[in-house]
Amino acid sequence: MGAALQNLDYFAFVILFCIGLHTLVARPNLLKKLLGLNIMETAVFAFIVTSGMVDGGAAPIVDGTVTGPFASPLPQALILTGIVVAVSISALALALIIEIYRQCGTIEADELKGVG
Amino acid sequence: MSAWLPLAACVPLVAGALVPAVGRRRPQLAQGCALAASGWTVLATARLTRRLFMEGPFSYAMGGWAAPWGIELRFDAWSAASLFIALIMLAVLVYSGPYARAAIEPRRLPWYYSLLLLNLGGMVGFACAGDLFNLFVFMELVSVSSYALVAVGGGRIAALAAFKYLLAGAVSSVLVLFSVGVLHALTGSLNMADVALRLAAVESRGPVVLALAGLSAGFMLKAALFPVHLWLPDAHAAAPCPVSAVLSGLVVKVGIIGLLRTNAVFAGVDGLPMAAFGQVLAWLGALAIVAGALFALFQQDIKLMLAYSTVSNIGYIVLGLGLANHAALTGAGIHVLNHAIIKATLFLAVGAIIHQTGSRTLRELRGVGRMMPWSALAVSIGALSVAGLPPTAGFLGKWYIALGAFAAGQPGFAAVLLLGALLIFAYYIRILNAFYFRAPVDDNMRSVHEAPLPMLLPVLFLAALCILGGLFGRWPVALVAPAVERLAGGG
Repeated sequence: MGAALQNLDYFAFVILFCIGLHTLVARPNLLKKLLGLNIMETAVFAFIVTSGMVDGGAAPIVDGTVTGPFASPLPQALILTGIVVAVSISALALALIIEIYRQCGTIEADELKGVG
Repeated sequence: MSAWLPLAACVPLVAGALVPAVGRRRPQLAQGCALAASGWTVLATARLTRRLFMEGPFSYAMGGWAAPWGIELRFDAWSAASLFIALIMLAVLVYSGPYARAAIEPRRLPWYYSLLLLNLGGMVGFACAGDLFNLFVFMELVSVSSYALVAVGGGRIAALAAFKYLLAGAVSSVLVLFSVGVLHALTGSLNMADVALRLAAVESRGPVVLALAGLSAGFMLKAALFPVHLWLPDAHAAAPCPVSAVLSGLVVKVGIIGLLRTNAVFAGVDGLPMAAFGQVLAWLGALAIVAGALFALFQQDIKLMLAYSTVSNIGYIVLGLGLANHAALTGAGIHVLNHAIIKATLFLAVGAIIHQTGSRTLRELRGVGRMMPWSALAVSIGALSVAGLPPTAGFLGKWYIALGAFAAGQPGFAAVLLLGALLIFAYYIRILNAFYFRAPVDDNMRSVHEAPLPMLLPVLFLAALCILGGLFGRWPVALVAPAVERLAGGG
């Protein structure tokens, strides 16, 4: 139980990831598929950010008054880039969904089968 | 000058960002800018490759920060693929002039060139990235521009195919990012050489296996390895032909190069089930060879045929990676380069035919060989080459992979390889039969002319490379040999 509590963030990550994957695969609505993808991305972002956490760690600003341990700032910097990528993917996907709706009149995957 | 390496990736990226701005005022300049930027990239990568031949692999520390902390760009044998990438992209850009004018709305043209340049910059950067996170960022540059390129021609199938491609691609990116996160959490480093060193000291094997599995699954999805190839045929067939050439020839190879690069990270770690992993790869590759070729055999649409043929050829490369001995890896490395040239030739030549005739099924294209002799000749050379007939480029890679199968004591895989080659040959015979030996179905075919010169020249240039790549096979073998040495030695 102790180990489970200590790694609570990892469990949350796995659950969130699975919710996202399920939404992406099982929902026929293209918008919901995109939302599922975003949930998956958020799960991975959260996982990487928490991996930089150090128990009782201070913000890594070295000004002489605070002495370690410091939290790792690198994962946050990485995820900032990751978020930018995710946003551009979402924007492109939304544009494509609008285009699909204009051309086909629906964004339900099961109704789109005959079109493709 | 040592700045050639970062500039090789940066110039097309910056140019890609500027082209829409230029194109807003002067749309006719957009193609010129794109040509200049990609021409520059060819020059830069050619210089880098020459240096690689003379001095061996070298690195560039971005901003002067040394390797484990700073961002490292590394130019080694796999990075030399960027020369081929740049050459093919240049050919595609020349070809795009007349093709894109007809197939793409005028106001979208500058964006089309911009996306192609971003794609080029992303691929060159991907090939040269020395750390895991840059690998991810450049992969995303390539992917996002590819999704958009599929839809750039417009039409309902294209938008839908692009969306499907986007979902598959984004899932694979999430897997890769997750594995990068795991590796960073385990080792505290992102530089690939550094991670490889530190992984050996990591005690728990579970997370390492998880990272290996995540990276492999992610890159396999990007490379459209059977059975996760479902996004590929629609995306590659719905895109405009020059884009199909880029996607099929180059972008799927991003997955393969990623697989090669990240496998090297795990090579030094003891206690990983690498042998079993190799067997899984080999079997998946063998399945992909046969399945891709069978699907291709039953297509009527010529572009769908070529797309399934890509699935099959990715199978060859992955089979080579899975067998993991010296000959097989050499074959896989060579086939990465040669398949890029062959598939680009085929898609561009078929694109010229589709552009001139307006039809794309085998039935409607009967008899086109007499009307468009040069384009049909290029298709024939590409077809013989992809089937792997001896004097052409496709033969070399498959020969080495077959040798590798015998060396690994699994001649069954060599039999699969031969079966695949026969099936591929069968469906290309179908194409050639329709082109040359069948009477046209409608009379419009008799008034078809050969494609304009800017389309024909790149096609013939690439077709010539298909043959030269086979005749001068020593050069690519010499190129990949040192990289193979390291992979086969460690794993």
